Amino acid sequence: MIEFAKVSKQYSRDVFALRDITLSIRKGELLFLAGPSGAGKSTMLKMIAAMERPSGGTLTVSGQSINTIKPSGMPYLRRNLGLIFQQQRLLHDRTILANVMLPLVVTGAARSDAERRARAALDKVDLLDKANAEPQELSGGEQQRVAIARAIVNRPQIILADEPTANLDRDNANKVLAALKSFHGVGVTCLISTHDDQYLSGAERIVYLDRGRIVDSWHNSANDTLETAR
Amino acid sequence: MNWLRQHFFALGDAFSHLLRSPGNFILNVLVVCIALALPFAGLTVLQNVRPVSEQLSVQPEISIFLKMNVSRDQAAALDGAIRTILKESGSIAKIEFTPREKAFAALKNKTGLSDVLATLGENPLPDSYVLKMSGFENAMDADKIDDIAGKLTAMPGVDTVQIDSAWIKRLAALLRVLRLVLIFLGITLGAVVVAVVFNTIRLQVMTQYEEIEVSRLLGATNAFIHRPFYYTGALLGLCAGALALGLVVLALQPLNLAITEFARLYASEFRLMPPDLTATIALLGLSALLGLIGAMLSVKRHLSRLT
Repeated sequence: MIEFAKVSKQYSRDVFALRDITLSIRKGELLFLAGPSGAGKSTMLKMIAAMERPSGGTLTVSGQSINTIKPSGMPYLRRNLGLIFQQQRLLHDRTILANVMLPLVVTGAARSDAERRARAALDKVDLLDKANAEPQELSGGEQQRVAIARAIVNRPQIILADEPTANLDRDNANKVLAALKSFHGVGVTCLISTHDDQYLSGAERIVYLDRGRIVDSWHNSANDTLETAR
Repeated sequence: MNWLRQHFFALGDAFSHLLRSPGNFILNVLVVCIALALPFAGLTVLQNVRPVSEQLSVQPEISIFLKMNVSRDQAAALDGAIRTILKESGSIAKIEFTPREKAFAALKNKTGLSDVLATLGENPLPDSYVLKMSGFENAMDADKIDDIAGKLTAMPGVDTVQIDSAWIKRLAALLRVLRLVLIFLGITLGAVVVAVVFNTIRLQVMTQYEEIEVSRLLGATNAFIHRPFYYTGALLGLCAGALALGLVVLALQPLNLAITEFARLYASEFRLMPPDLTATIALLGLSALLGLIGAMLSVKRHLSRLT
């Protein structure tokens, strides 16, 4: 579903965000990208969402090459993605319901249908009672769950969550992760980046990054193999 | 259906953004309105004056003064030549021959200068023809008179040809100048409208930067993002155009009071009328179009930078 083949991202002559990343992510996988700040986790997620293009190598998402994708094709790629950011990026001049409806509205969905599905998504993250509130009335954890509802409302094939637990207390972080894992359970491919190892327990697959390179990769298959060690 | 829904959404989005900061919108409408009001007022006056000038009963007279040595028979023979010239130019005129004796008698009677004229000893006036032209529908036909006069002057025995249509030519020229001034004013102030809308949309793009970015990441196409700005520009132009037309109509009331009194002195019922329905729709459409152009230029410039 997502194929990195010797992907590099270079911003200037000496500044590399990623170097020779080769990684294959299958449909329905739950993958954690772990590593310290500046390791390249966010860059990888941005590349999958076509917010950045590779400087070298090739990246393919759902059969679409990110190297060659045209600007006019990006919206249609992103409609199959659910994006969750560290700063939730909710629109503060709209209600929670309107925020969650937005991914459907941009595709031209009927208002009634968009509202029904947005309410269902809010229900899944236990925030239906906050539908008419404004983002600033919610706690950080609640706002992050709204962001999850917004990410899943258009039933994406892939969810990309960039540090979704940052700035949250342990209790709220666990709720957010539990919500994300529940979508993985229904066949959605989930990529979650985190710099905090305490949230990796129970992970199916973990890729460790440091200074733009994959330094370790762990797959919780039957024999708990270490896939790659560089 | 989906396309129509997206347009409804864009229109609603444009309205909701305008309602969130009505003060800014009203101020921008006022600025654009002032820019539009001047050419609208000029156009209204010109539209009112043009039919009046075109419907003026233009019956110029051409006076042909013969040389003193032309005999009466030679003078009478010119009648045929004059009719030929008029026929060739497709003009109709009432031709009146005035013998020099009759002209002299009339001069003495009308001016009360009989004593003075008696001292001259002989009649200084020549024989003459007066052509009362008809079939000239408007002031723009004045040039045709010049052609006829040129041909009449070339006839043997003709000393001088005088035309009394100079004032008509002056009026026509004045209207042409006014029209040119109005076109120049319209283009200049149209550019001002586009510039004001351009800047308004630029500010709106900046304030909605976060919303645009999030929408893009959620799969919004460029068309989806651009449309509300286009509607905002068109709405701004439309509202300003409507207000400008309203101001022009209001200004006509006191103006007409003064004009009616003035026109009455010339036994005329002339008054300035507001633009008719077709003109109103055209002006509103033009205002909206200017707003749309400003918005499109601004969106093209500023959103492509964000991309």
